[in-house]
Amino acid sequence: MAAKEDPAVTHFREYIRINTMQPNPDYVSCTAWLRIRGEAAGGEVEVVETFPGKPVVVISFPGTRPELGTLLLNSHTDVVPVFPEHWKYEPFSAHKDSEGNIYGRGTQDMKCVGIQYLEAIHRMKKQGKTFTRTIHLTFVPDEEIGGETGMQEFVKMPEFKKLNAAFALDEGYANPTDKFSLFYGERCVWWVMVKCTGQ
Amino acid sequence: EDGQCPWWDAFAKACADENVCLEKTVFPAATDSKYLRIKGIPALGFSPMNHTPILLHDHNEYLNENIFLRGIDIYCTIISGLANV
Ligand SMILES: [Zn+2]
Repeated sequence: MAAKEDPAVTHFREYIRINTMQPNPDYVSCTAWLRIRGEAAGGEVEVVETFPGKPVVVISFPGTRPELGTLLLNSHTDVVPVFPEHWKYEPFSAHKDSEGNIYGRGTQDMKCVGIQYLEAIHRMKKQGKTFTRTIHLTFVPDEEIGGETGMQEFVKMPEFKKLNAAFALDEGYANPTDKFSLFYGERCVWWVMVKCTGQ
Repeated sequence: EDGQCPWWDAFAKACADENVCLEKTVFPAATDSKYLRIKGIPALGFSPMNHTPILLHDHNEYLNENIFLRGIDIYCTIISGLANV
């Protein structure tokens, strides 16, 4: 009776079941799983460690004009802790109820986004679409503890510079209405101003 | 902001094509994009979840599978728009 599940949903639920909860995220299993999914989507997978045991998984899809600045699609792989006694279902079970609601730590923040990027590109590649610019998906560790051992360090590394990123997408929030929340980022001005007033 | 940044224009056009109505705001907390912006890389924070209560870091965090799948459609349009800027 139950309709067959879309493979993208199955992949999402697999990703939720990998316990990457702080303070001891299972990055080993997470990296191995992302490598499989990245290669299945036709991407080139590279793993860069910011610190021992802190992997950034980079999945790249070369564009037809690789000299152009690239599109960076970022997500973090870690999730915040849980109090399982307050949950209706086990927080890493990815339980799906009769309404299609999938419960799990990371379903909103932000494993959904990481796997949606990947599934979207996989689908377009299957349709034979090509891109002008190279696309890099970065799956970074430790955002939930401030990013010092994750993105903050990664952006200083030669491996980051090599990506030649020109524009990036990262996480937003859910929106309970019919609208979608967007957190705008062209306000680089902000950061410059903070620095100036601080000195 | 329209017409001044080709990345923004491509993003906005993709959202219009997908009938995604945006509520623009400043991120209430810090996230990894701040490290990208410090490096001079413009970044937008967007997770395609509407009709969804804000449950990040909360108990019973969930996402409906249809919202999730619709998000993939939306990203197809956004990513192909941005990757062809
Ligand atoms: Zn997050």
